[in-house]
Amino acid sequence: MARVLIADDASFMRQMIREIIEPEGHEVVGEATNGIEAVDLFKQLAPDLVTMDIVMPKRSGIDAVKRILAEHPSACIVMCSALGQESLVMEALQAGARDFIVKPFKPDSVIATLKKVIEKAD
Amino acid sequence: MPLDMAKYRRIFLEEATDHLGEMSHALLSLEKELEGAEAIDTLFRMAHSIKSMAASLGYEPIADLAHKMEDRMEGVRRAGRVRDSRELGVLFQALEALESMVAAVADERELAGVDEALLALLARPGDRSDTVGSPTSVAAEVETVHPKKALS
Repeated sequence: MARVLIADDASFMRQMIREIIEPEGHEVVGEATNGIEAVDLFKQLAPDLVTMDIVMPKRSGIDAVKRILAEHPSACIVMCSALGQESLVMEALQAGARDFIVKPFKPDSVIATLKKVIEKAD
Repeated sequence: MPLDMAKYRRIFLEEATDHLGEMSHALLSLEKELEGAEAIDTLFRMAHSIKSMAASLGYEPIADLAHKMEDRMEGVRRAGRVRDSRELGVLFQALEALESMVAAVADERELAGVDEALLALLARPGDRSDTVGSPTSVAAEVETVHPKKALS
């Protein structure tokens, strides 16, 4: 089970991810509402995994991924994407994000993706 | 365990209402300055967020319209400015349609389909035939396109 940081500017999405993953035994250790917070909270909390929205204020999820991975190359980051963001997802994966989940979230798919990423990291 | 969709409907209404307010402010600020980067970014992000929430709840007409508005705003972001008062008028129309649809959700009314003419307007940013006037003085022109939203 993993300690998870959720980064998304929408409370709706943060709650939905939390509600999907907590019953699986994962612990949500923090929530970031923009890319700057995501980077700061990663440093403070050292989570096992981050779910990172792409479109956020102040600093985009893509930029936050690059900043985190520059200092912590082994960080496990899963992007949260939406329809029409394929090129941004590719950019994040090329920058080192491990995988992505697609909005609207399908609980089984979210759980399976996080499980796969965590198992690979172990 | 199934998600409590009634709870997410409530959150959607709260967040969407906030977002629509921010979008309205952003559009009003763009009336004064078509190059307002912060307002352009706000409109893009708010449309994106409404799209994702609406899609999660199965509110497809809202998701479709927000998606088209997001796409249009992505083009505006790349251009660095709203092209002219006509484009601003289309964005005001889209906002008004989103407000109307979110109100329908709040009132538990059935969602009507999106106005196809509006979707078509949002999808043709490159059409220069509707360009009018000076980009720096647009209030009067906006009034001809969208009387309710024009500055006094």
